[in-house]
Amino acid sequence: MDKYLEFLKELLEEENINQSDVLTSFEAWDSLTILSIIASADEQFNITINSKEILEANTVGGLIDLINSKM
Amino acid sequence: MDLKFHNKKISGIVTVLPSKEVKFEDEMENYNFSSAKSMKLKLAMGYNKHRIAENDVCVSDLCSYGLKYLFEQGKVNKDEIDALILVTQSPDYFMPPTSNVIQGLLDMKKDMICMDINQGCAGYIIGLVQAFMLLDQPSIKKVALLNADVLSKKVSKRDRNSNPLIGDGASITIIENSSENLTIHGNLFMDGTRANALMIPAGGFRLPSSAETAIMEEDINGNFRSLDNLVMKGDEVFNFVQTEVPPMIDSLLHTASVSKEDVDYYMFHQPNRFMLQKLADKIGVDRNKMPCNIVENFGNASGVSIPTNITYNLGSEMLNNEYQLCLAGFGVGLTWASLILKTGNLNFCEIINY
Repeated sequence: MDKYLEFLKELLEEENINQSDVLTSFEAWDSLTILSIIASADEQFNITINSKEILEANTVGGLIDLINSKM
Repeated sequence: MDLKFHNKKISGIVTVLPSKEVKFEDEMENYNFSSAKSMKLKLAMGYNKHRIAENDVCVSDLCSYGLKYLFEQGKVNKDEIDALILVTQSPDYFMPPTSNVIQGLLDMKKDMICMDINQGCAGYIIGLVQAFMLLDQPSIKKVALLNADVLSKKVSKRDRNSNPLIGDGASITIIENSSENLTIHGNLFMDGTRANALMIPAGGFRLPSSAETAIMEEDINGNFRSLDNLVMKGDEVFNFVQTEVPPMIDSLLHTASVSKEDVDYYMFHQPNRFMLQKLADKIGVDRNKMPCNIVENFGNASGVSIPTNITYNLGSEMLNNEYQLCLAGFGVGLTWASLILKTGNLNFCEIINY
């Protein structure tokens, strides 16, 4: 998951991100970010997630829980 | 389902594109996003410029222009065409069939069949399959497959989800029997339970267009569209493509006993560059074998994207060479379909402007 956090940092254009950070609060957050997260979940973990699940996960920690729950 | 055809071939392809070219940057201010975000989208998706039909230009205009070109240049003999198949989601009218209208405009012979098919992203494959089936009739020796759409008219200019990628255009493919002993393998799938992933909600008989259906509303991503506009659930379509297309291609190649390496080009429908590159990676083929430059140059004109892909990227190379091509279309319906066929030594393979 450390590797995944690095990916998220790069995607969100942030130096540091915390588990409690709300996904939609990031300056760089937009529909393309969501698509990139969907694509990376498929590529890196071979799982399928959709935009509704990502938005419901709400935070960085919630997103990681979502991915873990599908693996 | 698996499909198999014998002794059929494509003998020529021409793509007709509207001359009007719109640049992504010129429409950026319509979107409810910062220019930095829009530029990021442009880079990832490969948005740059797209071809848009003028307001009064319809599918029959683009198709009859292309057919007239072929007849006048002597590339096709008008009287030899026994079937006119039009695949479109933007017909001139609900009735009559637009293919009949085109037949009339060009004063083609009456001893022929005209047929409209409502299919989009997979419409090139569905059209070819229909053409191959018609050619089994002894009376039908040459089929003109028309793929044409002017869907930009139905896309909201304030929808960053769909507007940057939409394109208008038409293509004409001539299909006929071949004296060579060739087998063409194909497969196709449909899932109407996901019919609302890509749709125009209003304007048909279920929900006729009215003042109410024209009201623009903002979605959660900041895009404005009305019920009269085309709406695409981008994430669902993306997941659908990544999940369904790779196993379809694996199965097709297995049935045809062709290895991934033996395919010269994977000429796929092109929704955007991002999706195509991810698809190439997932199927496990070299990205260079799967061109993904149609959206950035012309936009995605639904069923026209595969023939545009062939005429633009292979063009005159198709006149004297033969390639093992794997074609695949996927989208509205939902429908996903693929074909593997040796294609080449075409009589023509080019793009003309309307």
